[in-house]
Amino acid sequence: METVALTELLGRPVMDSAGLVAGRVREVAVVPQEDRARVSLLVVKTKQGDRIVPIHRLRSVDGGKLQVSTAAPDWTTYTASEGLLLMGRDLLDQQIIDVDGRKVVRVNDAELVQERVNGNIALRIFAVDIGPRGAVRRLMRGLMPAGALHRFVQRIPPKMIPWEFVDLIETDPARRVKLNIALDRLATLHPADIADIVEDLAPAEREAIFETLDEGVAAEALEEVDPKLQVSIVNSLDSDKAAGIVEEMDPDAAADLLADLSPERSEEILKEMQPEEREEVTELLEHEEDTAAGRMTTDFLSVPATATVNEVIEQLRYFEGGIESLSTVYLIDVDSKLVGSVPLAKLVLAKPETDLASLSEERVISCNEDAHESDFAATFDKYNLLTLPVIDDKGVLTGVITADDVIAMLRKRL
Amino acid sequence: MKASKTWKLWRLRVLMIFAVIGPGFITANVDNDPNGIFTYSLDGARFGYLLLWTLIPTTVALIVVQEMAARMGAVTGKGLSDLIREEFGFRTTFFIMLGLVAANFMNIVGEFAGIAMSLDLFGASKYVTVPIAAAVVWLMVVKGNYKSVEKIFLTASFFYVAYIIAGVMAHPAWQHAMVATVVPPSWGAFGNKEYIYLIVATVGTTIAPWMQFYLQSSIVEKGVTPKQYTASRLDVILGCIFTDVVAWFIIVACAATIYVSGGKELQTAADAAAALKPLAGNWAFLLFGAGLFNASLFAASILPLSTAYSVSEGLGFESGVDKKFAEAPVFYWLYTVLIVLGAAVVLWPRFTVQHLLRITVFSQFINGALLPFILIYMLILVNKRELMSTHTNSRTFNWIAWATTILMIGLSVAAIVMS
Repeated sequence: METVALTELLGRPVMDSAGLVAGRVREVAVVPQEDRARVSLLVVKTKQGDRIVPIHRLRSVDGGKLQVSTAAPDWTTYTASEGLLLMGRDLLDQQIIDVDGRKVVRVNDAELVQERVNGNIALRIFAVDIGPRGAVRRLMRGLMPAGALHRFVQRIPPKMIPWEFVDLIETDPARRVKLNIALDRLATLHPADIADIVEDLAPAEREAIFETLDEGVAAEALEEVDPKLQVSIVNSLDSDKAAGIVEEMDPDAAADLLADLSPERSEEILKEMQPEEREEVTELLEHEEDTAAGRMTTDFLSVPATATVNEVIEQLRYFEGGIESLSTVYLIDVDSKLVGSVPLAKLVLAKPETDLASLSEERVISCNEDAHESDFAATFDKYNLLTLPVIDDKGVLTGVITADDVIAMLRKRL
Repeated sequence: MKASKTWKLWRLRVLMIFAVIGPGFITANVDNDPNGIFTYSLDGARFGYLLLWTLIPTTVALIVVQEMAARMGAVTGKGLSDLIREEFGFRTTFFIMLGLVAANFMNIVGEFAGIAMSLDLFGASKYVTVPIAAAVVWLMVVKGNYKSVEKIFLTASFFYVAYIIAGVMAHPAWQHAMVATVVPPSWGAFGNKEYIYLIVATVGTTIAPWMQFYLQSSIVEKGVTPKQYTASRLDVILGCIFTDVVAWFIIVACAATIYVSGGKELQTAADAAAALKPLAGNWAFLLFGAGLFNASLFAASILPLSTAYSVSEGLGFESGVDKKFAEAPVFYWLYTVLIVLGAAVVLWPRFTVQHLLRITVFSQFINGALLPFILIYMLILVNKRELMSTHTNSRTFNWIAWATTILMIGLSVAAIVMS
């Protein structure tokens, strides 16, 4: 595999078909909307100004000189365009997202693979260099003959990220569209990993990520971000975008977030939310943060005590909340009062026609809406719970507290 | 429920103001490290009140440069080495980092020397104090988190009040000192070579390259936003004023005592403290000595950390005290090595005070050589509209900033030439 580094191309002399050195490589450009992985053209600095050389006109890259198959006077003038990714300016020394390593890294260099196509060269972006090889190469450039440097640098162990795992960060929304930056790769990561990555970035970049990600993914990631940063991020987004994300969040996380915002900002976002989600969140906002009602989520699964296993499983398919609240199914009577609880595992093991009431636990552990956090945390520990139902003074099931909330709460105290 | 929400909001607002106080204050105060204290002591001991006038222009210069660094941190959310890397490329960053590590390492040696000397005044041997101090410094940062460490640093900053008290105890000629602060002496004084050298040293010791990196990183780590920035600016200005008030009192304390009684030769900051004893009493001696110890320990904690952060950021390594050793090896190793080697140099039996002094002088040399580049890069960055949007320098500010930069460059060159 013949590879050439990006910094080995930049600044190199370019010879045209007449054999004369017509200029130097100023930039190596990619058009992501056409082909994200291959170089599309070279920008060559000539005495008459910047010119474009389409990549299929490149004959060879050997010996530090680039050979082009057309004559210099025929080259088109370069005009800047937002749809062009200039690797020197936009990639080198910039921060990118390493989706495989799940972190933000800085680009030292890029490796390109030379592919032979019809007697001409195609340059495919193979990987991004974030390690010592790229660093040394850039340091020693010009201080050693190019060939010797190339061989020397091969001895240094490479630290690369394959181009498929790289997501670019672009703070200008218009450019993001032109450069096809959709953060698809980032979106495949676990929300907690996305949150880690986001926490490592500067404010403008963080905002860019949340504006680009799909709202559902953004919501899950936002839930895992440090509360102070959550506020900063939400304040930097447009109200309707912010509302779109907050809607997708778990109601209790959404309520916590809105409570931390200024009242005006909170109002703005609530206004833009769908009525159903807005109602849920507003209800939770009424409660003190350190009580059971302040910690619970209103997304839970409750079924009549008379239902069968079959009917419940059907209902499960339509459940829209987070899966943490699903580990127990709660049984209610005609007045919506809590009367039983069935662990999901039991549900799975039972015969389809079984009555839920028969599967229910003898004693249903629950806590009151006003219970203080230290009390219900103790309940979790005592009864080894994963979820704890919350009831009001009449015994009506109003919400569910999940273990992850309790763990987060306890960690703060550690 | 509404009442508690309003209270929560107020609490948030007040906390927000307090939340941003810290970086500016701390950075300005670390400026008064053993080398700085020694320079000020020498100013007072050798020339009485005649050098006091340099403090006001110095403070202005310091505020200008620090403010730019703080503003860049708040607006871009990135550290100075990050910005230099993104705008000027790898090689430039690499060489700046090299210079920074060299300068900072020598400064660190100076700080450990300060610890040794100050506790030596009270009879403790350096072979005991320096290793313990090194261990304390290392543990505090490695085991602590940013918030707790910042609180400790802030407390240390306030401890500089000791110098103010010592200054008052020295019974200076207040009116004389006040006048000398605003009125430079007659031209005759400028003919003295030592006088010129001390002017250069005094102003030169005020702005060290590492301070801009540390301040900007702290601002970023604290998460100061452009909206909160006005509070940060206050923090920076107050810090610079406080630190130079302390400097004023150091000069005055030595002027009123050592100079008046014959201007003894001072070799180190500890000499200054010792010289105070017979002249201003035991308390002044104690305060000076304890102040020196505080300054040394404080600076010894910040400098290695700041260096490790700047280098890791600039060269693309993982960094952060909230990460484990294995997650950020370069960061932690650099930090550890700087402390261990710094302490080792001071402990080496073959190194006399003379050797240590030469290292200190050389560190000022490198600081002086590096500073112009840092200032110029900062000025380029802070004026870039793509980076700073509406927060670039205003035209007046640019004038002042460029004038300060050229002045600092001139003084740094003079310092190099003279040493």
